[in-house]
Amino acid sequence: MTTATKAPARRTLPPAAGAVPVTAARQLRLELRHNVMPRLLPLIAALFWFDSYRPSTAMPPYWVFRTFWNMGQGHTIIDFAAFVAGVAAWMGSRDGRRGTADVLTAAARPRWAVQLATWTATAIWAVGGYLAFVGVSFAVYAYQGVRGEPPWWWVAVGAAAVLAFSAAGFAVGVFYPSRFAAPLAAFGALFVMMTSSQIGFSHRSGWAQILPTNSNGNFQPDSGMLYPWLPDLPIARIVFLAGITVAALGLLGLPAAAGGPRLRRGAAVAALAGVAAAGTAAGLASTARLGPHGLMIPALHDAANDGPIAAAADCDASGFRVCLNPDYGSDLGHVTAALAPVVREVAGLPGAPVRAVQTAARYSAGEGQGGQAMTISGHPPVLGMPLGALGLPGAFGWTDEEVAGQLRLLFVHAFVGAGSGAGTPAQRAVQAALLQGAGLPIAGQPNLLSFVGLPSWARVTGGPSPGPHRASGPVYAAARRFAALPPGARHAWLAAHLAALRADQLTLAQLP
Amino acid sequence: MNVELTELTRKFGHTRAVAGVTLAAGPGVFGLLGPNGAGKTSLLRMMATVLPPTSGTLRLLSRDPGGYGPRREIRRRLGYLPQQLGYYPGFTVVDFVEYFALLKDMPPRQVPHAVAAAIEHVGLGDKARAKLRTLSGGMLRRAGIAQAIVNEPELLLLDEPTAGLDPEQRVAFRGLLRDFGQRATVIVSTHLVEDVAAACTVVALMDAGKIVFYGTPAELTARGEGSGAAGDAPLERGYSAVLAAARAAVAARS
Repeated sequence: MTTATKAPARRTLPPAAGAVPVTAARQLRLELRHNVMPRLLPLIAALFWFDSYRPSTAMPPYWVFRTFWNMGQGHTIIDFAAFVAGVAAWMGSRDGRRGTADVLTAAARPRWAVQLATWTATAIWAVGGYLAFVGVSFAVYAYQGVRGEPPWWWVAVGAAAVLAFSAAGFAVGVFYPSRFAAPLAAFGALFVMMTSSQIGFSHRSGWAQILPTNSNGNFQPDSGMLYPWLPDLPIARIVFLAGITVAALGLLGLPAAAGGPRLRRGAAVAALAGVAAAGTAAGLASTARLGPHGLMIPALHDAANDGPIAAAADCDASGFRVCLNPDYGSDLGHVTAALAPVVREVAGLPGAPVRAVQTAARYSAGEGQGGQAMTISGHPPVLGMPLGALGLPGAFGWTDEEVAGQLRLLFVHAFVGAGSGAGTPAQRAVQAALLQGAGLPIAGQPNLLSFVGLPSWARVTGGPSPGPHRASGPVYAAARRFAALPPGARHAWLAAHLAALRADQLTLAQLP
Repeated sequence: MNVELTELTRKFGHTRAVAGVTLAAGPGVFGLLGPNGAGKTSLLRMMATVLPPTSGTLRLLSRDPGGYGPRREIRRRLGYLPQQLGYYPGFTVVDFVEYFALLKDMPPRQVPHAVAAAIEHVGLGDKARAKLRTLSGGMLRRAGIAQAIVNEPELLLLDEPTAGLDPEQRVAFRGLLRDFGQRATVIVSTHLVEDVAAACTVVALMDAGKIVFYGTPAELTARGEGSGAAGDAPLERGYSAVLAAARAAVAARS
């Protein structure tokens, strides 16, 4: 059956193949104008302010501390993840929910390209919001004179995570075009984040380092101040998250309706490449090992990042000379004052330090940002202070007095030769007596030892358990006996026996 | 011929929605009539390259839509209004039509003018900046028609285009069909026989997936004369008579 007309088919419009970028840009402009993400940004901003920004302002004014909560522990990612995944799923499911699939399929542009434009708009809003919020908080930190260097690598990890959640959520929406896609993706993202955080608490090495909210990352006590931020782990995480993004977007191009054979082959290659990248990154993370400045991944490590950041130290030479990294300069007076009583107490004794210098704190995964043992070495003896989180009033809610007590404890612990262990009973007794001489009564010392910020040896002697502790037992009895000696006699005994004490050759019974 | 179908069949499971349709159409307005479930929408979806046929051959605008390259070329020159057109409530009329103009790979420089012209064509000029969620059903239908014609298609497929339009709009729409029919192949699937009578030069009547009548509206009207078939208008009586005869023939065969 045919119609009678014989008129030839016309070409009314030439193909616009050369104008693809312009067409894509205009489509993106339309998608940006009609995206749902901007409507959610105020809500995310409120959550970000409560969960990421506000807690960070309680920390001392150092980048490493201000950003540990929101970047190191991934709270900023958590704040964004559920919303971004949910909105992306909503946008991904739009054509299915709205019943535009047929008319879109009948259009010339490949379905995959159309979907990528919608996703790109969603991702631009999401990542833009993330960068804007982080940028504003960083600007406030900078205005407040926060010291050190910002953790730019970790900002990039957050952006990559937002991108990955948007891609994964979008894919959920495309393949499950229902009104339930958005809540499903949002709760899924929240579950992934919570699981990632929990795994991070228990897995301090291996593949789990790749998880974006595993807090055992490279937030070292002195990162960005005494040494650079190590980029190894952030690079691995960025590759991992980028892999997830590419794989999710590649999946969108696999269905028959997505486009032509060449385009679908490209999508398959992209999906496989994304999976390979994510797997490779997880493999790289499993090779991470602890270095002095954090987790090093041999295949990604650049030795140029191992050197210290060159800076002229700030020194207080009014009495006992104390030199700190310039970023810690504002704490110089506090540290000098904190050390003064113990310096006076040991003055003139063998091995008593003549000055103190700040040394880089070593990172110890799983032990938080706690203090580390001080060292006394060299001729003349010099006290090495890996301050890290110590010496920073306000860190974790510590008061000036509490921080000063910790500094004195660490000084004396090093002076009696206890090193990085708990020390012998005799060393602990002398330590307690010297601290009392420096103004820390023996009765209060068990509480001082219970601070979580101290090295692990403090827990052996004092224990981290809550509640008041009593200074009892043979060690404290010997300490009280020794402290009761006249200062001259105590000084003379120490001058004669310090070498034996430091060599672990004295027992409690041998104390006077 | 802009449309050439040979023994075109589409099955959904064991159901044959379209059962061996052979049809050809050049420029002009082609009416596709038939009761619910006759297979009109499935046939139109195949012609829109949305639904692949189960068997048979399909050539559109002298190209085989089985290959991706030719299919894309066809889609550049195609206008399609589905029976249930989805829309994005937050889009304005201009945004909506522009969106589809871009997806049809129109040269970007032509898009603004083409969008404005399409919107004017369907009489939505004063609502161009209105969001789709604020429009009535008839206006939404007109916005759908605008997206279908924005690329000046060589093949325009319209599934129930006048549903929801008031009489004045329907009259205007028939004028638009006649206008397009002078330079493109327009295939209109409809229940409304008066639309066919007013705008179509050729009409096909489908029942149970098959073409049971093909001819001019006048020929369809003639089939009803003296048949005693039900209907208020001559064309409706022709429609009823053809359907009754086709069903009687099927019953006799079985």
